[in-house]
Formats: sequence, structure tokens, C-alpha cells
Amino acid sequence: MFPESYSKEEKALAKYLLKRIGQSLLTLAIILTVVFIMVRQMPIDGYFENIDKLDDAVIKATLDSMGLNDPLLVQLKNFFVGVLHGDLGTSTRYSAGVPIAGIIASKAPISIEMGLLSMAVSMLLGIPLGAAMARSKNKFWDKFGTVFIVLVNAVPAAVYYIYLQSYGSLALNVGMLFERENWVSWILPVFSMSLGNIAYYAMWLRRYMLDEMNKDYVRLARAKGVDSKKITMRHVFRNAFVPMIQYIPTSLLFTISGSIYIESLYSIPGMGGLLVNVITKQDNPMVQALVMIYSCIGIIGMILGDILMAVIDPRISLNRKEGAR
Amino acid sequence: MKGVKDNISESIEKSMLEFAAYDSEAAEKAGYSNYSYWGSTFRAFLKNRVAMSLLIVLGVILLFTIIQPYLPGQFEANLVIDHPITGIQMMNIQPGLTNVVETAEEGTLLIVTPWENSEWAAVSNLLLTIPSRKDFTLLQYGDDFCQVEYDGKNGYVKNDFTTKLKLPDDYEDTPYTAKSNLAVKMYTAPKEMTNNKGNELFVKKSSLTINDDGTAVTKEKAELRLLPDTRPFLFGTNNAGQDLWAMVWSGTRTSLTIGVAVAFFQAIIGILIGVLWGYVKALDRLLTEVYNVIDNIPTTIVLILISYIMRPGVSTLIFAMSITGWVGMARFVRNQIVIIRDRDYNLASRCLGVGTFRIIFRNLLPYLVSVITLRMALSIPGAIGSEVFITYIGLGLPVSIPSLGNLINVGRKLLATSASYQLVFPTIVLSIITISFYILGNAFADAADPKNHL
Repeated sequence: MFPESYSKEEKALAKYLLKRIGQSLLTLAIILTVVFIMVRQMPIDGYFENIDKLDDAVIKATLDSMGLNDPLLVQLKNFFVGVLHGDLGTSTRYSAGVPIAGIIASKAPISIEMGLLSMAVSMLLGIPLGAAMARSKNKFWDKFGTVFIVLVNAVPAAVYYIYLQSYGSLALNVGMLFERENWVSWILPVFSMSLGNIAYYAMWLRRYMLDEMNKDYVRLARAKGVDSKKITMRHVFRNAFVPMIQYIPTSLLFTISGSIYIESLYSIPGMGGLLVNVITKQDNPMVQALVMIYSCIGIIGMILGDILMAVIDPRISLNRKEGAR
Repeated sequence: MKGVKDNISESIEKSMLEFAAYDSEAAEKAGYSNYSYWGSTFRAFLKNRVAMSLLIVLGVILLFTIIQPYLPGQFEANLVIDHPITGIQMMNIQPGLTNVVETAEEGTLLIVTPWENSEWAAVSNLLLTIPSRKDFTLLQYGDDFCQVEYDGKNGYVKNDFTTKLKLPDDYEDTPYTAKSNLAVKMYTAPKEMTNNKGNELFVKKSSLTINDDGTAVTKEKAELRLLPDTRPFLFGTNNAGQDLWAMVWSGTRTSLTIGVAVAFFQAIIGILIGVLWGYVKALDRLLTEVYNVIDNIPTTIVLILISYIMRPGVSTLIFAMSITGWVGMARFVRNQIVIIRDRDYNLASRCLGVGTFRIIFRNLLPYLVSVITLRMALSIPGAIGSEVFITYIGLGLPVSIPSLGNLINVGRKLLATSASYQLVFPTIVLSIITISFYILGNAFADAADPKNHL
């Protein structure tokens, strides 16, 4: 299957990646089918701008023209053909008749910018926090971090987002709503979105570093008289950092669910706010399309995490699926 | 050197160098350990002071949530409280320990509004309303209230943005004639004895001398209340005129019901599938593939989709959260079962012909009780949080069913106003509950870990 010039490991890696991608495509197909069938069970109100004003003949004609009276399998086939051509259907209530792909394309960039920014911020703050906690076990940073982690994990995000928005905008002296041009108004949404991930990274890095510190090679280094700061940075941190990569996909999922809330709270014109908007307007095709897009992002995130893990850490056996994630 | 030797020999007791007699009881002791798993778990848990105090706090809150509607002096949740005379809703009343708004000294002149009640009288100190642009005589200037005379009656009017009195430049040189472009209320005393909507207060008839002309004088120090009732609005009222205290506890009941039900169903589904997955080798591959598919979907999205498709209601929320939450539990149970499935004692049971069910329920699951409890304890705050989130995006419970999510969602818009207590109280109760469950769950997991037993 592979040319001789590739080593055994590379072949195993390629095989693993192919298998993983195939698996994801299958997952994606299953999800799209399930979502499609589920949305078909909704009342038909969601396909019309104002159903009360229309008579039955018009309703039937419209449904026919949308193909909604076809057998389910035919609808499903048409839908998949459409998706493969990049056609997600047209909006019905949010902005009637406009292709959904276009609406989403105009909303996606800001969501992506915010999401990436927030993931960067959460690493930049979470990883130093975790390292500081591990180094100062039972001292200030550890206690501070523990309280922070407990609060962020235990108090529902919806609650502290509200307080952060209200008091944060007073403290920063910005409006409660987002303005794209004003960089100060980016701080609160991005920071709020990052909080969960900061706690998550800090918690796991601390745990890994403490595990690592109890290992023999660290003890040996200490016995040789290596500076403790050097041990932490050179040995412990490096080794503890690798398994952190597996948390990137999960943190992406956190960012997604955070963005749905944050975007509508700050009126950010992105996809998350759009989802809340079309749900309240009961625009079936839009909800369907957005749910699918979010599922795709989730799946892509997971697969990227796995690939990154496989490429970076050669110790991980690719043939056996690890139970820990 | 010699001194050291002497010290050692002195410190050794003579008895230590004698032969020990055979003691059958002591011989028994060596092979016996009184270690008991649950005993050690509880001992470790009891040592954790923070967890113990939170356990008490949580116990009190849970108990209170259950018995609150049966306690005396409670308003009904969802009951819109109207003013008995005007029928206006008692909106946005600030929280307080009593519903006494004013204390009238003995001899205070009050105006009685005719109202049929044997015990209570509806009173205010609103003498009359001076129509807009009518002249009145200002007798004494004050920064808050001015003493005026109008229509032959002596009284006080407010001096602020609600009255906008038109006064001469030399306004302290009284008396003079003044007027306002607004209708101005004239009170019998330099203070306002009405509720926040300007309506009547209630006072016990026994403390009044009621005159025939519709006025009354207090016989003694009298308490003027918001309602003909002594029940206080401990958490104030919300902007629909409902008692927030009753709403918060009713909402806590709803949220906890959801949380407990979700934890229960997640555990049932998760354990069932986890056991099948881990124990039945033929199903392992299939279920692993199914898991890989399901685990890739963001749970938030599933939650949103299911709540969107089904009617909003408590059962929908429980269903949606149970269906998304069992995956973690199943994987966890599976991993544990795979680890202990083929241990010798299970092998022995199988060789002796013990049935699969008996092995699972007697040999395997008892090992997992502590960790299953932990996951259940953690899924309660998770479910409560999800309810808040789902309510925010407009897929939650209808407003007629109070829940912490509903209350927070309503209070959210009021944080920057004087009615911020409508957000603060629900969030405090919610945070205490979720933080307690979280810390207790983790403390219990630590205590249940045999590594921490001594």
C-alpha cells in the first residue's frame, strides 16, 4: 500500500490518519442525517414568514416547491446533493428567501476571529496559572487557582457572564454591547469566553506537572543539584505540556458553546448570536444548517486534536485507542 | 564515648530485655486489620471541614426548599399580588424584613379610603391633589417638602423633579404664591405615606380614631403596611408583582428536580450501557464505534436541537440533558468494568456458575458506587447550569413555571437598576447550591479513594 521508502512508523501514522478521517466522515454523515430527520418532525410554521395569513392551497404549493412533501429518503438525497454543492437551502423567517450559505459566510469571520483569540488567551493565561499552581503547592497561587477553578466550574457560566458584562463594562468604561472598531470592547467577550478554558488548562496542567514531579528522573535531577526552577521549566513543564494537547478539541467545544451565549449577550454579529436569533424566530432551515455547521466544527476539532497528538508525541501507540479523554 | 554508652544502657528499660510470654490474643492481632472501606471513607470525609460545613448548608437548603410552601406566612409562588383597592400589581417592592413602610407617631393625621374590612383600614396621608397650573400659597420653604396652603387646607408638597415647583428667585422669603405645570400631591405631613406606586397603605383599625369626614388620627404609634397582612417580602417582589422569595424557592425546587432527575437518568442509562459495553465482549467493538460517533458531537448543540424540536417543559429539559449526559458515565463505567472484569474473584465466581447478573450486581457495581455517586453529584450543578443556558437562548421553561434559569433570565436585564436584587437573590441561591454540590462531590471522591485512606 505504501512505497518502501516510508518507515514503519510513518506507515502506521498514515494508516491511523486515514482511519480517523474516514471515521469522522461517517460520523458527520450520521449526524447530518439525524439532524435532518429530526428537524423534519417540527411543525411546518418554521417554513413560512406568516402562516396565519396564507390559505391551505398556498401552504401546500410552497411546501411542494420546497420539496417538503416528498418522501423522506428523496428529501434526504436532495439535501446531501445540495450540501455537497455548498447549498444549505434558503432562510424562511430570519431573512426570507436569502441563501443560508451567504448569511453564514457573512457572519462566520467574526466568530472565527473571536474563537481563535479566546483560545489563544486561554492558553496564555491558563498555562502559566497551572504552572504557577504546581510550583507553589499549598501557597498563594495554588489556593488562588483552586478557588478560581472551583468558581468557574461550579457556578453556571450564564451567571458570571452577566455579572462580568455589567460590572466589566463599567470598569472598562465601554458600552455593554460590542463594537467592532473599538478594541476595548473586545476584551470582555473574549475574556468571558476564555474563563472556562483557563480553568480547564490550569487544572490539568497542574495535575500533570505534579504527577511528573514525583517521577524518578526529577528526583535524580534534584539529587544532582539542578536548580529547581530549571527542573520545573526544562523537564517537568515540557513533559507535562504534551498531554495537554489532547484538551485542545474539548476546549474548542467549550469555546463554541461559550460563543453562542457570549455573542448574543454582547450582540456580536457572529454565528452564535445568529443561532439564538433563528431559534427565537423558529427558522427551521437556518437552525438545521447552523446545528450542522457547529457539529462539523466539533468533529474537525476532535480530529485535529488527535492528529496533533499523534504527530507530536511518538510514544503514543496509534493502533490502540486510548481511553482517556 | 563512655558517657554515650551509659546513656543508652540507662534509657533501655529492663523489661525490654526479658523474654515475652506467649499471648494468644496478641498472636491473633497480627493477622487482623479492622479496615473497612466505607468506615474509612466516612472518616476521611468527616475530617474535611469545608466539605462538612457545606454538607450542612446544602442539607438545610434542600430541606428548606422542600418544606418552604408548607411553612406559615409564605406567599404562593406565581401569585400576582395586587393592591387590594386599586388592583395595581405590587411591582418591584424592595426586599425587607417587614412590610412596614412607615411608622406613624401618635396623633398623625391620615386620610382613610373607604374600604370594607373589619380589621384593616386603607390609609395614606395624601390630602388632595392640586391640579396643574393652579396657584397655591407657599407658607414655608424646605428642600424636600414645602408647607403650602390650598383650598383652605394646610399641607405639604414635595419639592423635587416630580413636582417641578415654579418659585420666585427669592424663594426663602415666604409666604408667596407658587404653582407647577404638573399636578402636585399635597400630604398632611412632610413625608409620603404611600407605597412605591403612590397607593394606600394599611393599618390596623384598632390603632386609629376614625372621624366621619374621612380622616383618622392615630391613637398610638402605628405601623403602616404594604398589604393588610403582616407577611414580609423578604426578597422583594419582581416586576410582575410576585413575591420573589416564594418564586426563588419554587424555582429552586424546579431546578433541583431537573438536576436530580437528570443525574438519576444519566446514571441509569450510563451504567446500563457501560456495563454492557464493558462486560459483553461481543458488544465492545460496536459500542466503541457508536461512542466515537456520539462523543464527537458538541453536547450543547444536541441540547439545543432537542429543546428546539420538543415543546418547552420540565420533561423536555430532563430528556434533552439525560440523552446528552449519559455518554461520559457509560465510558467511565465501561473502563472500570474492563479493569476488574477478569480479576480472580470474578473468574472464580464464573467458574462456580454464578449468573452474569449476579456477578454484575454483586461483584462489579459495588466497586463503582463511590465514583458513580461522584458523577451524579457533579451532574446536578451541570444540569442546573444547562437549564439557565437553555432558558437564556429562549428554549427553556415557560415563565409560568418558575425556575432559577427563568428568574435569572428576567433579572439579567435589571442588574444595572435599583431592582438588581431580582438578579442577585436567585444567583446567590443558585451559586450556593452548585458550589456545594461541586465541592462535596469532589471531597467525597477524595474520601472514597483508597489511596487517601490510612
